[in-house]
Amino acid sequence: MRLAYWMYEGTAHHGVGRIANSMRNVHAVFHAPQGDDYVNAIFAMLDRTPNFPAMTTSVVSGTDLARGTIRLPDTLRQVEERVHPDLIVVVASCSTILLQENLEIAAQHAGLQCDVMVYDANPYRMQEIVAAESLFTDLVKRYAQPQPRTERPTVNILGPASLGFHARHDLISLRRMLKTLGLEINVVAPWGASIADLRRLPAAWLTIAPYRELGLRAATYLEEQFGVPALLDAPIGVQPTLRWIERLRELLAQAGAEIPMPPLTAFSLDGMSAPSAVPWFARTADMDSFSGKPAFVFGDATHVVGITRFLRDELGMPIAGAGTYVKHQADWVREQLTGYVDDLLVTDEFQTVANRIAELRPELVCGTQMERHTSRRYDLNCMVISPPTHIENHLLAYRPFLGFDGADVIADEVYTTCTLGMEKHLIDLFGDAGLDLPEKREGVAVAEPAPVAPPVESSKPLAESPVAVAVTSAPAPSQTSPAAVTSAPAPVDPVWAADAEAMLKKVPFFVRGRVRGNVEKYARQRGHAVITAEVLLAAKEELGA
Amino acid sequence: MHSKATPIREDGIYHSFCGLVSVGWLYQKIKDSFFLILGTHTCAHLLQNTLGVMIFARPRFAVSLLEESDLSSSQPDIAAQIEEIKREHHPSVIFLLSSCTPEVMKVEFEGLAASVSTPEVPVLFVPASGLDYTFSQSEDSVLQALIPFCPPAPPDDKRVVFLGSVNDAIADDFSLEAARLGIPVAGFLPASHFTELPPIGPGTVIAPLQPYLHKTATQLRNERGCTVLSSLFPFGPDGTRRFWEDLAAQFGMRVDLSDREAAAWERIKHHTDLLRGKKVFFASDTLMELPLARFLKACGAEVVECSTPYINRRFHAAELAALEGVRLVEQANFHRQLRTIAETKPDLIISNIITTNPLVGQGTVAKWGTEYCFLPIHGWAGVNNLVTSFTRALQRHAQLDPLGSDPIWLTGMMPSSAGGVISLQS
Repeated sequence: MRLAYWMYEGTAHHGVGRIANSMRNVHAVFHAPQGDDYVNAIFAMLDRTPNFPAMTTSVVSGTDLARGTIRLPDTLRQVEERVHPDLIVVVASCSTILLQENLEIAAQHAGLQCDVMVYDANPYRMQEIVAAESLFTDLVKRYAQPQPRTERPTVNILGPASLGFHARHDLISLRRMLKTLGLEINVVAPWGASIADLRRLPAAWLTIAPYRELGLRAATYLEEQFGVPALLDAPIGVQPTLRWIERLRELLAQAGAEIPMPPLTAFSLDGMSAPSAVPWFARTADMDSFSGKPAFVFGDATHVVGITRFLRDELGMPIAGAGTYVKHQADWVREQLTGYVDDLLVTDEFQTVANRIAELRPELVCGTQMERHTSRRYDLNCMVISPPTHIENHLLAYRPFLGFDGADVIADEVYTTCTLGMEKHLIDLFGDAGLDLPEKREGVAVAEPAPVAPPVESSKPLAESPVAVAVTSAPAPSQTSPAAVTSAPAPVDPVWAADAEAMLKKVPFFVRGRVRGNVEKYARQRGHAVITAEVLLAAKEELGA
Repeated sequence: MHSKATPIREDGIYHSFCGLVSVGWLYQKIKDSFFLILGTHTCAHLLQNTLGVMIFARPRFAVSLLEESDLSSSQPDIAAQIEEIKREHHPSVIFLLSSCTPEVMKVEFEGLAASVSTPEVPVLFVPASGLDYTFSQSEDSVLQALIPFCPPAPPDDKRVVFLGSVNDAIADDFSLEAARLGIPVAGFLPASHFTELPPIGPGTVIAPLQPYLHKTATQLRNERGCTVLSSLFPFGPDGTRRFWEDLAAQFGMRVDLSDREAAAWERIKHHTDLLRGKKVFFASDTLMELPLARFLKACGAEVVECSTPYINRRFHAAELAALEGVRLVEQANFHRQLRTIAETKPDLIISNIITTNPLVGQGTVAKWGTEYCFLPIHGWAGVNNLVTSFTRALQRHAQLDPLGSDPIWLTGMMPSSAGGVISLQS
């Protein structure tokens, strides 16, 4: 048992809901207490679904337990009558699984016309990612039929799903590239696929499965079982996208289809420009300062590998560290990031990641919504690069992470998140560069650095936001360092003497928090209980801060 | 139409939130509290997704996470976690909330709470599992847990205690209004701090401000011998007038607030004109439905159905009487509701956070019922907020270009839907 504040992954039944809500005429039924129905809200709110999410809770109440009532057959009949699905997936919840009921028999009692699949997802052994991936693989195994290939070369795209991270945008980017190559799509799944579409999967010449979290196993199965070659790389960044296109053409050539390579400009939005502005952008003088901005990257396997490599290889940024919460993909991530990261952080405990960030104090944090919370607390620049998704990741404009288009989106995000180059020189030289604000407003300015995304929190003016500001900017020595905020094994925190505090005030406001943290860390390491002006100067010399 | 307010009870295939969600406002209301939920990954995911968007500092709630290896022990050990919470958050009181899994495991919660409770920092058991409680209901459990910490009041201490968590501004309004009428106030349950709970005794009049607190009211009546005000809840000019007149009567005063009520109606005439004759359907799950429907009826709207998770005949008696003739449904069946909506074609649907966007996608005007748990709609000061919450949705939709209702604008918005509005009429 442990104390949990935030979770990276959803539950198993949420993973099942993601597959059902991605597919046409597939419905999930949760044999669960009404409290488990909240997952519906996530779809209706984040995906803003104009129809009811494809899942229904067959309510188990306290009195049902006492009486041994099981409402499942009746719920199944009602669902069939209302939505006429081709398939209903039944799944138990964390509480009802303990009852050890035979849901197969209960489902048979319903006497339905449609297919019913009782999906055995033990919520104590699997969470969202494994539940979704295993269910999707099971469905592909169940329905994919041997059949001749399509006449002209076609490809499958596996992986995009409801509540996926920028999934709709990634899908547009993939479609654009395939269209430029003159390739047709056989099936996209689970996004928008019906059971009939799953049957047609083996007719493709190639399967694209860019995500390690969803679609990988189904693509591998189609390769092993039906000989449909699988392209499992994620085209994140310009060079990886070029290699991805090469690999795709190679695999199709081996399958007997020669796909001519169009001029690269054909991949651009207007068809007549460079497909991405990143290679030139990275070489501009503006970007020189980025070689001194270390980044920390944390998230799911796919995005952590893609973004870490992109930052170092294409933007020339040093990598301070990286990590993932997808434990079963940790070996793959480690292997992919050999030479980029020495000590990969593998954990699903948000506090551990927060402590690592507090320790590293990187110039840029690329993480999930949780790391955004953490970065705000420590006054660090942060951009969100990985699920779990948040309403701010469900934007209207085209913002893919994959392909040439995605490379531009990521580079823009990095650029607008970090403190810029020339600006930084001015600040270093003149202290505040005229940007300092009166002390009273300091907290506000610090807590909201021109961010990637406007904080949703502010739309609900709640008591917490002033608290957050007070914690991050705490100027009084008695409030100690931000490290005390988390469960960091905090030794005695050094106290600031008045002369040091006055010197600290001269540091530009938007790096002040970081300098404060670094100096306190230095003081702790050297055993200084009081930070005097002398200690501050020594720390500045030592840290080059 | 039914001649009497007789609720129909259905089979409860409906969409709702877990009772744990009320932690979202209670931890902010009781400022020196901490809420610990003994639960699973599911509970943590629920709280994160329902409350996470609002919170980015240090939440004063957490989940004591049951993992597979913990399932075999019937009495989990939470002592270390309680220490961690005390160390980091310094609460005056810790509420230990139950959830579905430990209830199925038959964890003995009373004993568990007692084993880690100290006189300095009491740990109080709160039944709140999604097996038995919906949404706002668990506030009732939290307030019940606080009862033993309300000091006893002598029989001659005849004062009012307002029941239900409201924000400080609303509390001030009610204190002021009571003073104006000459009604002595002992305090609010809950107070903003655990250490400021009001004294309650046989002379106390409990005045419920929220319609979902019948267990606390009943327990106070039984254990402390106090009187529970039976009146309308103080929403809208009609409800607020009745509430204060009935409360004053408890203190032997006859007050006539008819002018005050008339003036309040006059101020919102522009809005009630808009609501008159409009068909409204309640399909939400906050237990605020009865008083809200009663207010809309008083505005001249036609309430075609008022569904609510539970009705308590005694606690809701005055509201039920005022709703005579309205179709009332407990634990509604969602599929049947959709059919009724298609038949009756309401002008406005008050639904829950789960079904609102999809209902709008079907061409209806729907709004979140959930909001009423957070809006300042109580008393005279809340009248304008209350009425505009309904008319805003109607006016906004009327203002939008009707071209936007063409199914083309929904194409591709939901992977499992081929695109376009699926008409409720089909």
